Amino acid sequence: MSKNPPANRVSVIAWFVRGTWRNIKRVIPRAYAFALAFVICYLTYQALAYLIIGLLRPASSPPQITQLPRRMDASLLKMDRSSWLALDATDRPRTPPSHYHRIGDWIEPDRQSGCTTSGCHSSLPHNERKEVRAFLNMHATSVHCGVCHMKTDRAPLSLTWYDLSSGNSTNPPAILQAYGLLTSDEYEKNRETPDSDYQSELVRLLKLAAKEADNLPALKQLADHVSAVRATSDEFKLLLVQAREALPRHFRGEYGAKIGMRGVGGDPILTHPNTEKLIAQYLEQKDTIKGRDRKDLLDRIHPLRRDKPLDCSACHRKTDSLIDFARMGYPPARAKALVDPVVVEMIENINKGVPFHLPEFINPKR
Amino acid sequence: MRPEVNMTRRRIFHAVLALTTISIAASPLSADDPDNCLLCHQFRGLGRIDNETQKIHAFYVDPDYSHLRQGPHARLACTDCHERTEVVVVPHQPVSRVDCARQCHLSNPNGIDRRFSHDPIESMLASSSHTLETLGGLDFDGGPLLDKDQSSCLYCHDEPYFRLPLDVAPQLADATERGIDRCNVCHAETVPIDVEYDLNHMLARLQPSRSPLEIAQTCAVCHSDSKVTVEHKMSDAVASYVRSFHGKATLLGEHHTADCLSCHVRAGENAHLMLGKDNPLSSVHAQNVANSCRSTQCHPGADPAFATAAVHLDIPTAHGTIEYALAAIFIFLTIFTFGPSALLVILDLLQIIVGRVHHPSARIEKLTHEMMANSEGRKRLKRFSPGQRVQHWCLTILFVTLVLTGFPMKFADRAWASFLVDLFGGLSIARNVHHWSGILLFLGFSFHVVQVVISSLRTAKRAGPDGRPLGLVKAWLAMPMWISPQDIRKTMQLFAHLLFLRKERPTFGRFSPAEKFEYLGVFWGTMLLGLTGALLWGEQYASRFLAGKTFNLATIAHTFEAFLAVIHVGILHIYNVIFAPKVFPLSPATITGNTPVEKLVEEHSEFVEDAAMELGFSVKADPTA
Repeated sequence: MSKNPPANRVSVIAWFVRGTWRNIKRVIPRAYAFALAFVICYLTYQALAYLIIGLLRPASSPPQITQLPRRMDASLLKMDRSSWLALDATDRPRTPPSHYHRIGDWIEPDRQSGCTTSGCHSSLPHNERKEVRAFLNMHATSVHCGVCHMKTDRAPLSLTWYDLSSGNSTNPPAILQAYGLLTSDEYEKNRETPDSDYQSELVRLLKLAAKEADNLPALKQLADHVSAVRATSDEFKLLLVQAREALPRHFRGEYGAKIGMRGVGGDPILTHPNTEKLIAQYLEQKDTIKGRDRKDLLDRIHPLRRDKPLDCSACHRKTDSLIDFARMGYPPARAKALVDPVVVEMIENINKGVPFHLPEFINPKR
Repeated sequence: MRPEVNMTRRRIFHAVLALTTISIAASPLSADDPDNCLLCHQFRGLGRIDNETQKIHAFYVDPDYSHLRQGPHARLACTDCHERTEVVVVPHQPVSRVDCARQCHLSNPNGIDRRFSHDPIESMLASSSHTLETLGGLDFDGGPLLDKDQSSCLYCHDEPYFRLPLDVAPQLADATERGIDRCNVCHAETVPIDVEYDLNHMLARLQPSRSPLEIAQTCAVCHSDSKVTVEHKMSDAVASYVRSFHGKATLLGEHHTADCLSCHVRAGENAHLMLGKDNPLSSVHAQNVANSCRSTQCHPGADPAFATAAVHLDIPTAHGTIEYALAAIFIFLTIFTFGPSALLVILDLLQIIVGRVHHPSARIEKLTHEMMANSEGRKRLKRFSPGQRVQHWCLTILFVTLVLTGFPMKFADRAWASFLVDLFGGLSIARNVHHWSGILLFLGFSFHVVQVVISSLRTAKRAGPDGRPLGLVKAWLAMPMWISPQDIRKTMQLFAHLLFLRKERPTFGRFSPAEKFEYLGVFWGTMLLGLTGALLWGEQYASRFLAGKTFNLATIAHTFEAFLAVIHVGILHIYNVIFAPKVFPLSPATITGNTPVEKLVEEHSEFVEDAAMELGFSVKADPTA
């Protein structure tokens, strides 16, 4: 800029703009040259370092080979699947050596539940009573901790499904809806006079169900079969029978959604409200805090906690179940299975901690 | 098609569909899970964490394994492996460890179960390198991988799945289903066999039960474990394998390349009999390895000498070998050819950063403008003829294709490598594209060489300063792309200028020394890459004339030369023709043949002067300048 700025205001502005523009024009090429020089230096360094290190440092096996979980430790549940590059490198990744059965995608904790994301509870939180712990954990994929552990006076419980990827309230899982379609009056009507709208809806739900269950091939294949035939064909009718028989095999709690307590606005309650600071305090002091102080802090962290959690028979009972399965979107046939007397009896035995032999129904062959 | 035939087919289809439906409906859970264990064990969450050891006890079993008959063990009941008396009670009694050698019962559609046991494997292992004592004594980095009393089989085996060769014949997936329907017309009841199971089993056995990558992952459990390898005085065999061609192909998802078992298990022999390389019976013993390489599935026509090529070559640990020396030479050459070129570019940019402005000669600037204003002058200042530009773009396209298809092999363990290979439709296609691009490049190169030779011959016939023909040697040395002593001197002057040791910036003729250097680099690189590439491509034939080590050397030369070419082109050439401030956003030289005036004035003033002199422009120095 010139050293003698003009006197009037317009001229001052023009002088200032011209000067600034001149400076910008002078700076841009330098900045550009600097950026280029930096990029070239960086790339040159990377290239030459690659060569020299490659000559000096013995090779190690790449992550596609070695990044597999080696042990079945609790730390597995804290990691994303993406941490294990070798899992995705093959179609059928092997399990940690100590475990024979393929575990596939099961190491996916609930990313929406405050109980697990806080770092306090694992995705398999129950480990005290041998009789029930595994059965309780079995519900971890489809039921939020709050259903049994958060207090409420309402009976049946006020519940909602929540989406595992967003944490928002959502519709009942597609597989339940599809099974509803296959066990409703519509089903019988379609067995007599098939309807293409019914077929389209069934295909949509089956595809969605497959997606929700980690792209389960069996459901995808079923959807493809149902969509491949004409609604008016005899094949469609036969496929309806097949689908009706096949779907219950996939009621495994892998719905892409879980049941949680329903809050005032309809949203799920996935954590105890306003407890972030207390949780941080607890995690900091958990090894040192003892006795009464510990109990007080834990009580403050869990303001909604029931004094005594619900037991299995609170929901798995023929009458007065705390879960209104029909309202939660369970088709009558599935709801009936969940409160089947034989199941209830078995659950009661488990709940009481009474060892029992598996009933004969478990083994239809014998 | 005749209507009655069509009708018959429809009837058969309906009958089969009905049979399938009935069979599923009648026995929803009994056929594939006779004890109905999956009632509970199909839930992923069934399990717990041990508070003390933090170990996860996962009781989940993939129900589809049984329901869809996904593996050979789908025919077994859970109680074939797990003691019935222990699991029939809820909660299950403390379960004893599964003994893989215990007797199980294979269900059969005719109702007569067959007995089976893996017991013979134990005796096989006893005579192999992997004896149970060896496996039982393994000490892993970070502690034991198996619990006490767990079967050593678990080091290598988990739930076996049928691996259908769908990558070779994707239609098998559909054919299987149709085949089952057709077969079941008779084999469902009249001659009962489990068609789906048998068909899947047979198809799966057409290839190894695991992909090469899965096998590498399995072997790496021990052979890449730092503690195990040190204790057993082994190198990381999997790490060196994935540096080989086979290993890289494996990383890139190739299913038909040699895996660990391809070489380490004798043809037709059981994998459980694997022996160490020092055992004369081993497939990789010095006496046998040639035959292992030359098996009908691998390199059938190769000379026995081919086997001396190293599959487990890890250059950093190969001190004192010719391979190590060659790699070191290439790295040295790379640093001392690429390094100075990169330094020139960086110093050039430094001039702009510090604001150092070089004012070219006003006379040359004026002369250049005069030349550009003249149609003949403009024509003479085109530095690249149409033929040369076409050749350049052919080279560009082929070079990029070769890099895109070749570099995934060099960097096979990077995520982008798999992505690129997938873009080409798999490694086989990428390799084919690479080979054919190489051939085309070599043809183009040959065409260029012919052009150069013809041009030299013409020059040789022209009269020299003494009036006599120049001669072939002089004509050859007069080629414009040779780096002359004057070029070297001017390059030193340029360095001195850029390092602020010299005021005047030297100027060049039609081609700058850097351009000549690049040209000769392409010349040398194409020959070397073409020759080594052809050797590696036709390895079986070439092995009849060359020792196996030649292939190691060819691989090293090919990969290091390609790397040099890529960094030179990717960093410096791209800078010079795209990002350099004088030509940004793109130098028109290789499109129109024109060089920007600013660049001509600053870098090619001798070329301008020569052209002006030939056209009769006044090139006298301005006495007032």
